Amino acid sequence: MPKHESQLDGATMDKFELSNEQLFGLWVEQQLNKQQQNVFEQRCLDDKTFAKQVEMFNMFSMQSEHYQSDEVPSWDRASTFNMPEKIKWWQWQGLPTLSFATSMLAIVMVLTGLQVRTDDGAMTISFAGKYREQQSEQEIDKLVDVKLAEFQKTQQLALTNTTQTMQQQQMDASTQLTQYLLGASRKERREDFAELIKYVNEQRGDDQLFYVRQLNKLQQDIYAKPDLTSPGNINE
Amino acid sequence: MREGGTPRGELLIMFEKTDQQLITKALQGNKQAWLNLLKRYEKQIYNYGMRMTGKNEDALDLMQEVFISVFRNLSTYRNEGSFKSWMFRIAHFRCIEFYRRKKPMQGLDDTPEIESEESSVADSIHTGQENKQLISAMQQLPLAQKSVVELKFFGQFTFDEIAEQTGISANTAKSRLYGALEKLKILMEVDYA
Repeated sequence: MPKHESQLDGATMDKFELSNEQLFGLWVEQQLNKQQQNVFEQRCLDDKTFAKQVEMFNMFSMQSEHYQSDEVPSWDRASTFNMPEKIKWWQWQGLPTLSFATSMLAIVMVLTGLQVRTDDGAMTISFAGKYREQQSEQEIDKLVDVKLAEFQKTQQLALTNTTQTMQQQQMDASTQLTQYLLGASRKERREDFAELIKYVNEQRGDDQLFYVRQLNKLQQDIYAKPDLTSPGNINE
Repeated sequence: MREGGTPRGELLIMFEKTDQQLITKALQGNKQAWLNLLKRYEKQIYNYGMRMTGKNEDALDLMQEVFISVFRNLSTYRNEGSFKSWMFRIAHFRCIEFYRRKKPMQGLDDTPEIESEESSVADSIHTGQENKQLISAMQQLPLAQKSVVELKFFGQFTFDEIAEQTGISANTAKSRLYGALEKLKILMEVDYA
């Protein structure tokens, strides 16, 4: 922006006679164009005062370059930092008030018996031990539920066991009964056959005895009554 | 003027915080950041004060005033242009105030009257011999011209920047420099004669 402005100045000024100050200013800023450079050099040759000014500028410029900057003596640098320093958190003025407020809150909590409890993602705040009753009821309910469940489980187990035992007993009894019945019928049949055989044997014995008697009788008759040996007497 | 770019120096520059970073931290209440920023520019401002006032004590007072003012106005710095330029604008106005306080009867364009006790600035100021001559010559310029000479030769600012900092036009700045050099020519000729 400044350079552009200066160049514009230079362009417009070319049309007119550049004053010493303007020409000098452009030279100082190193913004002379070729034409202005020629004018500048010519001016230095023609105008001794102008040439002296340029010389003076160069000399002063050189002196300023050789200027030895002095070291800064020690001074209170911190005094320039006017901002109040950041208050440490423990120096915070509201701390006593906050402390008092929290103490009061603690006292109120103790006096009212405030209880805060989180159970299953639900937070419960209760006062004056009401929570405890509520809590005990809840605990009892829970315990009863647990016990009932346990009892139910035990009962079911016992019932299953009993059923199984009864089934087993019934099966055993049936087996025993069947075996007994089978055994008993076999024995009876054996006894019946034995009695039958015995009876048959007795009958046969009796028959044999009868026949022996008959034969003996016959023999005696024969021997006792030889007359009777005729055929007609035989049928008697 | 600038130190050579040694590898160590380059490394230090790499880790050096920018002006903007230091300003941001200082505004957040970081005292160390402000002190670092201050140390970066105090030498320039102090030497500016030396050349503008011609006295070590006044330079120190002026420097303190400048930095107090810079800190007070730090929040208004909008990163438009260099911080150095912005700071020198403040320094210029503080310097004018300082001058008015010290010499209330003297105008900015008036050539300072050499009082008997101030007859030799070179004797009272503690600095190198070459510096003394230069400072002594500058003390005999009106403040308006002295400001332009200071900013042009030592601040290395362009006429437009000088104009912006001192609240004058670029042409006025050129003309003041021209006038100042005319006077310096006479003064230096006298000095070297």
